[in-house]
Amino acid sequence: MALNDRETTQLRAALQETVVKCSERCLYQSAKWAAELLISLPMPDEQSEPEDSQMTEVPSDGPPPIVVTGNSDPEEAQLEAREINQYLLAKSFFDCREFDRCAAVFLPDTLLAGVLSTSKTSNGGIRSNGKGKEPLSERRIKPAVPKLSQKSLFLALYAKFMSGEKKKDEESEMVMGPHDGATILNKQLNTISRFLEGWFLKKTSAMAGEVVGSQGWLEFLYGMVLAKDKNEEDALKWLIRSVHLYPMNWGCWLEITALVSRVEDLNRIARHLPQNILSFIFHIHTSVELYQSTPSLFSSLDQLLGIFPTSPFLLTCRSMLLYHQKDFQGAEVEFGQLLAQNPHRLDSLDHYSNVLYVMNLRPKLSFLAHLCSVIDKFRPESCVVIGNYYSLLSQHEKAVQYFRRALTLDRTCLSAWTLMGHEYVELKNTHAAIESYRRAVDVNRRDYRAWYGLGQTYEVLEMHTYALWYFKRAAGLRPWDHKMWMAVGQCLQKMGRDLEGIKALKKALVVDSYDDAGAGSSFGSGRESGGLMDPEILLQIAAMYERLGDAAEAKSYMEICVAQEEGTGDSMEGSVINIHADSGSEDRSRPVGAGGANNGTGVTAATSKARMWLARHAMSTHDYPRAMQLATELCQDGVEVEEAKALVRDVRVRMEIREESRR
Amino acid sequence: MARYLTPSKVALLALIELYTDSVVPTASTIPILSFILNQLLPSATPKSQPASPSPIDPLPYILDPKAFETLLSTYPATNGFPGRTLWDLFLRKIWHIDSLHALHDFFESGTKLLAKTTEEAKTDIENGIAPPPQAIIILSRTSPFGSFVRRANVEFERLKFNDITALWMSFVKWRQVTRAYWAKRSGGGLSRWAGDNALLNGQIEWGVEETEMLELVAYGTMDDEDADKDPVSTDDVEKVLEFQVEKMQKLGSRIPIEVKDKFRSLLDQSILIPSLSHYLSFLEAWRAGDYTTSFDNLHRYFDYTMQNRDRLFYQYALMNLAVLQSDFGCFDEAVAAMLETVSTARENKDLACLNFALNWLYHFGKAHPRLLSGAESTNMLGVEREGLAFLRIKAKEMGMFTLWSSSLLSEAKLGMSNGESVATVFANVLKSSHLIVDKNMKSMIGPQLAMQSSLWGRLGVVHLSKEYCDIFLSCHAKYALFDDTLRFTCRIAHLLTEKGKYEEAMLIMKSLDSNSLRSWKANQFWKKYCGILTLKRDLHRNNLDGADQLLSQLLQSGGSESDPDLAFETDILHIDYLMRRTDYSGALSKIEKMSAAMREDGNDLNLRIKLLTLKPLLQDKAGRPQRGFSVAVRAASIAWRARLIPALWAAMGAIANILTSLFEFSASSQILASVIPRALECENSTLNAQLYSFLVDAHMGMAGQAEAGSLRRTEHLTKCLEYIDRSFSEYSAVEDIEGQCQMIYKKGTIFMVLGDKFQANECASTVLELRKQWKLDLSEEAGGTR
Repeated sequence: MALNDRETTQLRAALQETVVKCSERCLYQSAKWAAELLISLPMPDEQSEPEDSQMTEVPSDGPPPIVVTGNSDPEEAQLEAREINQYLLAKSFFDCREFDRCAAVFLPDTLLAGVLSTSKTSNGGIRSNGKGKEPLSERRIKPAVPKLSQKSLFLALYAKFMSGEKKKDEESEMVMGPHDGATILNKQLNTISRFLEGWFLKKTSAMAGEVVGSQGWLEFLYGMVLAKDKNEEDALKWLIRSVHLYPMNWGCWLEITALVSRVEDLNRIARHLPQNILSFIFHIHTSVELYQSTPSLFSSLDQLLGIFPTSPFLLTCRSMLLYHQKDFQGAEVEFGQLLAQNPHRLDSLDHYSNVLYVMNLRPKLSFLAHLCSVIDKFRPESCVVIGNYYSLLSQHEKAVQYFRRALTLDRTCLSAWTLMGHEYVELKNTHAAIESYRRAVDVNRRDYRAWYGLGQTYEVLEMHTYALWYFKRAAGLRPWDHKMWMAVGQCLQKMGRDLEGIKALKKALVVDSYDDAGAGSSFGSGRESGGLMDPEILLQIAAMYERLGDAAEAKSYMEICVAQEEGTGDSMEGSVINIHADSGSEDRSRPVGAGGANNGTGVTAATSKARMWLARHAMSTHDYPRAMQLATELCQDGVEVEEAKALVRDVRVRMEIREESRR
Repeated sequence: MARYLTPSKVALLALIELYTDSVVPTASTIPILSFILNQLLPSATPKSQPASPSPIDPLPYILDPKAFETLLSTYPATNGFPGRTLWDLFLRKIWHIDSLHALHDFFESGTKLLAKTTEEAKTDIENGIAPPPQAIIILSRTSPFGSFVRRANVEFERLKFNDITALWMSFVKWRQVTRAYWAKRSGGGLSRWAGDNALLNGQIEWGVEETEMLELVAYGTMDDEDADKDPVSTDDVEKVLEFQVEKMQKLGSRIPIEVKDKFRSLLDQSILIPSLSHYLSFLEAWRAGDYTTSFDNLHRYFDYTMQNRDRLFYQYALMNLAVLQSDFGCFDEAVAAMLETVSTARENKDLACLNFALNWLYHFGKAHPRLLSGAESTNMLGVEREGLAFLRIKAKEMGMFTLWSSSLLSEAKLGMSNGESVATVFANVLKSSHLIVDKNMKSMIGPQLAMQSSLWGRLGVVHLSKEYCDIFLSCHAKYALFDDTLRFTCRIAHLLTEKGKYEEAMLIMKSLDSNSLRSWKANQFWKKYCGILTLKRDLHRNNLDGADQLLSQLLQSGGSESDPDLAFETDILHIDYLMRRTDYSGALSKIEKMSAAMREDGNDLNLRIKLLTLKPLLQDKAGRPQRGFSVAVRAASIAWRARLIPALWAAMGAIANILTSLFEFSASSQILASVIPRALECENSTLNAQLYSFLVDAHMGMAGQAEAGSLRRTEHLTKCLEYIDRSFSEYSAVEDIEGQCQMIYKKGTIFMVLGDKFQANECASTVLELRKQWKLDLSEEAGGTR
């Protein structure tokens, strides 16, 4: 998807305008994002020198206005021109984080209060006030809403919103304290939504049902407010509307992402979205957030990188994709490059630290923590990195301390909630762990690690029904992750629902091998080499079959389990297919286990157990030579030698008895 | 500023690790151990000082790699390649810490050096962990090394992350010096990012330029201008402060100027100023004689230390205050504060403080009897001797050996000044001496030796007395208060001047440590004493104008706050001056005044006798020697009783003189003949000269009684001549012009009597010569001073 020169120029102009517009409205993060993207567009550098005449043509628009952009709508432009002084005042207040004062420049408090009460009356609420006072309040509640440009209105309302958020944060007090939680709400939401409701009502032309002349920013704000109010359907509607009107507002896309909790939702809304480059980026970003990692996603990301070759954002997406694919090494390299290119950029370094954590690259993680701490130690990302480092050092108290700090800085810091949950689990503080996970899930329902963590914690507490529920959520989010299925299966096993458990574990085996095949060389995901099945799972399946009384199945799985020691070699494909068939109809014979060339897991506790079981089974079926063989193998393995020796003796005695009886 | 850990401490840990790895050869174990211990236990420094070969090259206060290098590069490693020294091994250790994580690991591994507790050992055995190999030296948990390792671990554990990064960065900076050497040693040179694993690996991955950028971001510019700022921790600062305070309290000196700036820069770096630094500035200001500042700082110090312990240490604050007040001459306030100390200490049942305060009050009362008389009713000490006994018993009960021995000494002193049994005094002195030696109280050696020295001085064994002074100065001065040193030096100077060795005395006075003399009080004392010495010389040389100048200054400064000994000395010299001015009535009234004051205060017997003997001498000068008879006899009898030998001889001399005036020449000469040999032991030239001249007078009288021209007369006259010569030589030793002239006159007269005109003429011309010479000297001196 290469763009020609003209398109590039257009895109650049659009991005420039976006940066200015976003910063005009104090949407700092969006402005930053757009600017990052802008700079990653390669410049049509000196090679275009001969076309100098054309180049002089381009700046005919004049240099992009830095502080104030013009407005294409003449009416709005006129309004803006008239308000320029107030606007500048309000903007400087906002920059100084005096939100209420900023809002009051355009919307005095009396007016906002009026908005609240008018809407109450229009809702048909009963007036409790005496009739005598009515005229007075009537007069007060109907102050004429001054005719404001949309920009000023947005700024004022956004300031109000921010003020509410700030107060909310302040009232929540300590992280995980008594006031922290859903009880504290942004008190300004009501006012803003009522105001905007009224505004849109006024602007909507009766016939088309469309808001006339709106430029998208207010829709964005309205959508955001609605989302905060948990009115997600409406929020999505307004946000999509905003994106249609002004597609370059990345903040708006992010809000949409936050509202999409599964792939189906994404596909559903995709039809309603405008088709442009931002929407493309949005699609990729959201897919990454949803842990998708399909080859098509890679190719589209590569296309985008063709346009913005150095965009840190897109590179981050790429590393995250690799990370979700469990290609940790690749992700590590990508993140490392990203860091080297932008040494001061702290965004998404927390993910980098996760990668390093998983890979157990301690020196590197320590360096990263050092770097973050030097750059800015009071950024949530830095705190998460440091917390991760401490967690790696098994200093869990300190880790918790840093995650808490991260949360104090930003309560919506998802990874900090989840990681803090992990730390609390380590500290055996299950109560706090559950709360942390719960908060993580509340912030973002797509976080499978939090779901999984919740399940684990409940499992520790032996509340298997709960655990099962959470494990299922996690498995739903990551159906291709064998760990999730394994958890589900084990949970079911513990609850005594063996049949379902077997299904789940088989699923785990399937996705496991599939995942391996798909990801190629995976590293550090806990398995030694590709193509092998986890003996633990096999053992469990066998155990469940045994409990169900299906000895044959049990035996076959035990044998597969033992076979993993040597590895499956080229017979991997066969085994996979067999398993597939198994999960369909359960009467198939076991797959051929012994391979040879491929190195297996070696002796593990699970295989030894399986071997022991097999030996006993052979005993019970009077297959003494087999039992003998297995038991001697066991002796060699060095696991449970005593028991194995006892078994050998036993076998010998019986064999002798049999010999004698034969005589 | 870090709380405890600094790069040098990390390096010390590495050194300890090196030691425990058993790569340190046996021969070099002791220097290395003492090097480490020197750092860990600063109090161990003086002991190891004589052992170290080069005491002139002391270790820097904050260890830099250089210090380690000089120590380690001299010792070969046991199991290395030939030519490899411990320094190489050490460098490998510290360069092995190649990332922040390695630093964590390094501290983690520190615990492995420690001996396991029994429980740990048990769990280890249960878990099948083998005990550590024999080759490794295991540190006991409570040993200095062990506790250092543990403390370092705990402190590291406590650090916040960015403190750890700060430590890491300063460590990287710290070892940068050794980079060149290490690069050479490790062979093949070091890569650019040696010492940081992450960067080293990153270079391959990211490229050189990017890595450099990252390094800059992470470490900042490495060799910036604040490189000279040594990384110190609050712990270091506290240690230094403690050391300095101890030094100041022990030696009574001020902070040396060159150290002062260093201190300031250290304290500026630290955000957390230890409250001790206020105490330090209090001491400094106190020594500097800056009353208001010291007051201010003392209050500040106690304000900062008060916060958590309510009134528990109030008495100490009061005590400090009282001492301070008294030092600045605010005696009333001092007494009030000390009395409050006593009552607070009693209230808090702080017997140690109480005893100390009472001891102080006792001494204060001795020094300023008038001031305490008002407070006598509240004084629980009662009569002097009982008070002392009380203190002694209390000190014994409490095990406060310092107080105990000091009360013993006080008792001895009391006995001595009251002229009581010398045996008892000796008993007390010996008791205290036993205590001091037994408990190794270095701080008490000074008073002890002073006591002994003055005791022998009083008993007339002057050389022994001087010997004690010398012993102190050469053996104990290092550990003792500077005040003591000063007093001993003054005493020696005094003894020297008595022998007329002015130059030497002044030299000794000037040889005192100039830094210690910066202390205000000591400086005052020193100046006054120097003044007294010069005054003495001036008087002897009859330089009365100069003496007048000095005297007026000395008398002026000698208010109530001045040292009583000095005041007495000054007064005596004043009397001498008046006598030389022939203002006899003035001198007499001064003597009367002084003796009246003494009677009231119950002052030292020795001084009283001195005063008493002055009186007949004055009478003698005034031409009425007989009037002093009873006084002289009294002085002699008191001196005899109290065994104040030098004073006794002086008194006997006065008596002999009176006898001479009563024409009891033979008695007089007998007295003198028996006195002089012993008096000579006292090595007091003035006294000797005087006695000889009295003897001359006595013999002259006897010659007069003999018939003219008889053999007896000639015999006496020859004896006269002989004694005159002796007296003359004694006078000339102390440069007493007047005495010399007198003697020559007498000599001339005798020659006249003998009819030897030529010799008489010679004498007359000698006198003239002397006078001329004297005038020349005076004018020269005046020119010199001008």
